[in-house]
Amino acid sequence: MSTIRGKTAIVGVGQTPYYKRGTSPDPELKLCVRAIVDACEEAGIQPSEVDGFISYASERSDAQKLMPALGTREVRFAALSWIHGGGIPGALSIAASAIVAGQASVVAVYRSMAESAGQRLRINVAQNDTAAQYLVNGLESPVQILALRAQRLIEADGVPAETLRAMAQACYYHARNNPRAYGRNTVLDDQTYANARMISEPYRLFDCSRENDGACAVIVVSAERAKHLKQKPAYILSAPMGGLEGSGAREENIHPYSTAGQAGVARRMWAESGYAPKDVDVLQVYQNMTGMGVGALIDHGFCTFENAGEVIRFENLIAPNGALPCNTSGGDLAEGFIHGMGLMAEAVRQLRGTSTNQVPDAKLSLMTGGPGDTLTSTALFGTEETL
Amino acid sequence: MQFSYEQHRIIGGIGADDEYWRALEQGEFKLPRCSGCGQWTWPAHYRCGVCGSWEFVWTPLEPVGTVYAWTRTCYAFERVKERAADVPYVTVLAEIPAAGNARVMGILQGSEENLRIGAAVRGLILPPSEKSKHYPSIQWTLEAHR
Ligand SMILES: [Zn+2]
Repeated sequence: MSTIRGKTAIVGVGQTPYYKRGTSPDPELKLCVRAIVDACEEAGIQPSEVDGFISYASERSDAQKLMPALGTREVRFAALSWIHGGGIPGALSIAASAIVAGQASVVAVYRSMAESAGQRLRINVAQNDTAAQYLVNGLESPVQILALRAQRLIEADGVPAETLRAMAQACYYHARNNPRAYGRNTVLDDQTYANARMISEPYRLFDCSRENDGACAVIVVSAERAKHLKQKPAYILSAPMGGLEGSGAREENIHPYSTAGQAGVARRMWAESGYAPKDVDVLQVYQNMTGMGVGALIDHGFCTFENAGEVIRFENLIAPNGALPCNTSGGDLAEGFIHGMGLMAEAVRQLRGTSTNQVPDAKLSLMTGGPGDTLTSTALFGTEETL
Repeated sequence: MQFSYEQHRIIGGIGADDEYWRALEQGEFKLPRCSGCGQWTWPAHYRCGVCGSWEFVWTPLEPVGTVYAWTRTCYAFERVKERAADVPYVTVLAEIPAAGNARVMGILQGSEENLRIGAAVRGLILPPSEKSKHYPSIQWTLEAHR
């Protein structure tokens, strides 16, 4: 069977600081150029060599705008992974497929956003594709829509609400060691969590991801080339995108309802990589909202509705000693949010051994894409010995 | 008839649900059912994914169901700022057993006491208003409080 398993790797990461939304000193196109150039320099590749450009969602810094500043010799491949945050690992899948098929050799996968250059991030992210049924009935934001699903997760599926708090507390705990993290000064004890203002029940303020200005890029090349560059490669073992029958654009008529919609991509990811949940050393779980992080862990087989309360406990979720270290940079909640790209950077750092909350000797690093999206994706990265 | 929602059309979603809004604006609750295989298709679409038929029968229904999920909105979000004065308000996703358990959204009106998943609700059809973005809407009430 044809596969992308281990045939490509991330060899460079570039990331601007996270700016408070609307306060970036630079427009998003400049942030984007900066992130791609930094990723190239880290890898030891000339920015002009980048011949493939892949992003996702509503990205506006496209190849034609980037190439004059990068000195691009030739754009050979450019694509957008559909949907919203659900498309991130899917963008890697496109990059890897293009390289394996000989259509590109050095691919930048990136996302840039600056609110000053556009609308409020969450409106930009929604891409004006919210159906009338939501807006007529007072629902517009992902937090509200995902709150419906979290209510069902807790009330009907019996997953303890404390699992949501544990997911948030692990993020804020990790953020305290991360100088880049926006939430590094917040001590999220039980009281602080419970006293935070309610946004859309059951979600309180600390259940929600941040919105930041910034850009992040990674450089993907073939496994052969990766061996001769400056950084320890993070091999892409699998990065499937999609959705099972019952998912898609269904205005809350999806089946199953309360988890992340990732059961199908997770199954394909385990099959292609040859690994299982028990093998994973560290996880970066996209959390627009905490309940969706819980749903992602269930969909990936790390726990079930029945034992989620035992598995998703704070002690278990933190590096270096937890069995399931989760969101070791602080994640979307406590590090910052460039539409989830920060998770990819952290997944790579864990394999290089350079995280500020390093899991000792991490070899298999998982990153999940936007959960609860109409289509979604997931990715598993490994060191050379996992190939 | 000139329909209010057509003058204030919201872009987004599948876009095959005009008949739903027209019926609501005329005081009727209708959902589409495939004329080939009988499958309820909600949200409405152009082709039945089960049997391949392109024909649907918009079927009048009594607006009764049960709470499938709910949320209480406690913040005045930008794109639904027409409801800012009503914050906090509850939106219910109601499951309609007579329509193959299709789920239909609506604001909860009246007492919130005993609001829980599985509770029986009945719908009241409201004419277009600024709050509902000049669309007609269905408001759910808990049966226990009627
Ligand atoms: Zn049919």
